[in-house]
Amino acid sequence: MGVIDNVNVPQPMKFILNWGRRYSLWIMNFGLACCAIEFIAASTSKHDFMRFGVIPFAHGPRQADLLLVAGTVTDKMAPAIKRVYDQMPDPKYVISFGSCSNCGGPYWDSYSVTKGVDQFVPVDVYVPGCPPRPEALLHGIMKLQEKIAQEDIGEKWTGGIAPAPVGS
Amino acid sequence: MASRRPLSVPDVGNALRAQFGQDLADVADRDGHAVVTITEPRYRELITVLRDDPEFDCDYFDFLTAVDFPDQQQFEVVVHVYSNSRNHHVRVKLRIPRDEPVAPTIHDIYPGANWFEREAWELFGIVFEGHPHLVKLVLPEPFEGHPLRKDFELMSRVAKPWPGAAEGEEGEEE
Repeated sequence: MGVIDNVNVPQPMKFILNWGRRYSLWIMNFGLACCAIEFIAASTSKHDFMRFGVIPFAHGPRQADLLLVAGTVTDKMAPAIKRVYDQMPDPKYVISFGSCSNCGGPYWDSYSVTKGVDQFVPVDVYVPGCPPRPEALLHGIMKLQEKIAQEDIGEKWTGGIAPAPVGS
Repeated sequence: MASRRPLSVPDVGNALRAQFGQDLADVADRDGHAVVTITEPRYRELITVLRDDPEFDCDYFDFLTAVDFPDQQQFEVVVHVYSNSRNHHVRVKLRIPRDEPVAPTIHDIYPGANWFEREAWELFGIVFEGHPHLVKLVLPEPFEGHPLRKDFELMSRVAKPWPGAAEGEEGEEE
């Protein structure tokens, strides 16, 4: 994608690219506890997040755009999550689903639970709840899509340094 | 078959008393299960009897865990076995000193106890003598300390005290 991160993409192009990306989020479910059940409920016919363009169950992290950490992250599981995240190709997004992965939740004083998955992967959207309802996940996905729509992909990939304008 | 019905708690108590006498410190009835407390020297013998004696026929090892009693300066190792053929449960308790927590292993009697002993070893610091592979099972490798001991310091609670009892729970401990 050398062109896009080297030039300043015109607004209409940016809109189309972001529109394409926001409605084809291949999701990697990292289900760790009861929140994973709510995730599954959100993927089935009643709530059906596929209508928002979220394709459930990428075949592996290398095909996924979105990592959904649902449930209690323990210190022992943390390296595995980090590894899955590192295997995903850019651009990638993370939703932290449920109180446990947001901040430790009811296990705030536990000896084994990581107090928030954002300690080792960057999180884009936090969905609160214990566990959150599937509607909350749909809301979180829509928030993420809003975020993607505003994004400048060149900026994201160059770490915030604005690329040179076209023709310069 | 009438003879294959579950042994009642008094039956378990009487049968074990006949064999172990004073070494059987206590027999109690907990929800219809026999709970027996044994002294350390005959602990392995008791477990073997429960497994091999056709009267007990406890062919299924359910779990092994431990309890911390800091005020009595003791740990209690708890072993739960079950008989598939007779449908009765027997729970064996063994008291060991807290300052020198060593218990005999039973992994050669019930192979299923292997991982349970590793777990009790890392969470309580109880050394199971004769265990072939006492290494960490559920805790991450760099973890220090024995988190299920009651004097284990929870770092989060050092930074932020326990917020206190919920409404209607005042007076309850913690």
